[in-house]
Amino acid sequence: MSEPEDPRWLDEIVPELRREVPVRPAWRARLLDEVARASKPSVRADVDDAFGDRGERAFDAGRRRWSVTIGPLASLAAATLLVALGAGATYVAMSRVGANAGQRPAQTAARATSPQLVSGAPPSAAREVVRFELSAPRASHVALVGSFNEWNPVATPLSREPATGKWVVSLRLPPGRHVYAFVVDGDVTADPSAPRAADDDFGSPSSVVLVSSPRT
Amino acid sequence: MAVTHPEVPGFNLATMTDAMFVRRVLDGDTAAFTTLVDRHAAACTRFATRMLGNREDAEDATQETFLRAYRSLARYEERQAFRTWLFQILINRCRTAAVRRQRRHRMFLVDDHAVASASVRPAAEASDLRAELQRVVDALDPDQREAFLLKHVEQLSYDEMAAATGVGVSALKMRVKRACDRMQWMLREGEASDVGT
Repeated sequence: MSEPEDPRWLDEIVPELRREVPVRPAWRARLLDEVARASKPSVRADVDDAFGDRGERAFDAGRRRWSVTIGPLASLAAATLLVALGAGATYVAMSRVGANAGQRPAQTAARATSPQLVSGAPPSAAREVVRFELSAPRASHVALVGSFNEWNPVATPLSREPATGKWVVSLRLPPGRHVYAFVVDGDVTADPSAPRAADDDFGSPSSVVLVSSPRT
Repeated sequence: MAVTHPEVPGFNLATMTDAMFVRRVLDGDTAAFTTLVDRHAAACTRFATRMLGNREDAEDATQETFLRAYRSLARYEERQAFRTWLFQILINRCRTAAVRRQRRHRMFLVDDHAVASASVRPAAEASDLRAELQRVVDALDPDQREAFLLKHVEQLSYDEMAAATGVGVSALKMRVKRACDRMQWMLREGEASDVGT
């Protein structure tokens, strides 16, 4: 299949298709009334409650859910089999560690003492210190909000560094991708020195920091 | 003048991200959901209207979407844009509405000749174009219509579309391309029939 000969036809029709369909005030009022009467948001809400029912897969019949029902005796047999398989897998894994230990002893030792991997270690042990800073000379108050502090504007205030005049704060963050923003005198502002979160549609754009695993 | 949230003095409402409003709802500020409705209802209604072809079904699907989103808000993960998460629900609601409608024997027109022969053109040019476009969009296969609208009308990225639809990026690109080819062909056919009449 070839590309359309003249892509300008899209430019002609898309504005018409993008024309807003106004939200009727009566519809909005009814919706907000329903929301007010609805049960509070809950983590226990079933996935199907949000994302659909049988109709949702009408266009994508390839996605299927499978379930298997087994009786008590079959359950016992399956459990025994799993225990046996688990023991076998553990034996194989230990044999491989033993074989590798002679080749890479330093790495094995380092991994074993890494805070991230120590069993029972507190979560903070796996966190890296990340320093956030912002140049906002006219600001009177700056705070950091993000997925790590539940976007709470009073949880993480920045302080002005006397030497540089910059607003700074250091946090211990777990490895992974964190979306954040500064709140400068009430205005949410992206970090000008960090990559933007690509998907903001409303409000100010957010920024992204990627925290790697602690160095060993 | 900046609009401030009543429970966060000095906070500029217009600059607050969707994730911040989600957090406020989960912290018990139910009224904060109003802002999420006001930010996204127009786009949701537009998508549903283009997808389902009529306003009533679109409003039902959009209302159901927001109610489900509200009840399941604690399951929203901030690494995903709220809009993408919301569209994930909306797409499923539209799919379900389309299936319900098929059951009611109100089938979409899928035959190009039927589309062309059914054309009754309003006098005004703007509404003429609008009606013509909706007929062409309605004539697409549902999966192609869905992909085209998400890409070119709602302007989601292919990654966002994949997250919202559960369909792979390659398949989505193919659907969009086929939709474009088909729409272009139908519009040309419409022009040709105009010249012939």
